[in-house]
Amino acid sequence: MDEQDIIGGCLRGDPVSSRAMVESYGNLVLSVALNVVGNRQDAEDVCQETFLQVFRRLDRYDRARSFKTWLLTIAYRRSLDMVRKKRRFKDFSERARFEPAVLQRGGNPHPAAPEPLPSALLTKLSPRERTALTLWANEGYTAGDIADVLSCSASTARVYLFNARRKIKALLENDHGLLQNG
Amino acid sequence: MDFCRTVELVYDALPLRPLRDRLIRAHMEKCPRCQARLLSRDEARGLLVAPDRLGDAEALWRRISAEAARLAAGEGPAPVRGAARYRWAAAAAPALVVAATGFWLLREVGRGGFDASAAGPADRFEIAYVRVGGTPAQTLVYRPQGTDTVFVWAGRTP
Repeated sequence: MDEQDIIGGCLRGDPVSSRAMVESYGNLVLSVALNVVGNRQDAEDVCQETFLQVFRRLDRYDRARSFKTWLLTIAYRRSLDMVRKKRRFKDFSERARFEPAVLQRGGNPHPAAPEPLPSALLTKLSPRERTALTLWANEGYTAGDIADVLSCSASTARVYLFNARRKIKALLENDHGLLQNG
Repeated sequence: MDFCRTVELVYDALPLRPLRDRLIRAHMEKCPRCQARLLSRDEARGLLVAPDRLGDAEALWRRISAEAARLAAGEGPAPVRGAARYRWAAAAAPALVVAATGFWLLREVGRGGFDASAAGPADRFEIAYVRVGGTPAQTLVYRPQGTDTVFVWAGRTP
């Protein structure tokens, strides 16, 4: 089933096409969300909200544009919403960290294998910088493509990407220096 | 490299952040020595989670399918209905405050001003001019201590 078949099927409300869309693009959306929000539980929530929005608004998708970019734009916006929501409830999250009952509310508390998580260094970047870095490194996106997702100019997207690369490199060099001195 | 660091320090002193970012980026993009101070794509990949490290998307579909089926059946998903309720509540709250304030103001105006009888008992108090020959007189009021007698002496104003 190619991309256009999947989109057409989803527009008709075909569950097989909906499933094919999630299986084709699920990991892409989840990886972007995970790199932006930083934890699996929230990333899965973002992923669910993204696909539900896609199913609801698919009739508004302009077929002249890249579907992947449109999908990632929604994923980015939902991730930003999640980051803002998390910021608002930061105090609660910090308290919940010490409450095992809250930590075990969803998912498997003892996963068979450790789930991949982005480096903690990424927390030093803004959500826009994290998104720009993810799209550039994982998807090979250019500044123009990143600008489409972030809804900004290519020049601004270049600045986000440049800042992300510079900050993380400096942090890595600093860590390396500390290890050598230590 | 010293030259590059000096340029960066000068740019860092600029108050406008967008301008500062653009100037530093323009310099570093042209400067081969500074290029080495940027994270490479491979280094970035090592820090990020790539889609191929996330395994099968089947679990994701299991999570989404129930909501997707509800959506296909024409029912709105619960979180969205909740969000709509919050939007309605956010719009209704200021309207309620305005309505309650307006009602209170109208009620106060309808009362017809200050109700003197509600203020409780008070001594009668009057002011009147003593006039002699049609003009205000020069008046003296005298009350001897320990008596209720009051003498009023009025004379023509010179």
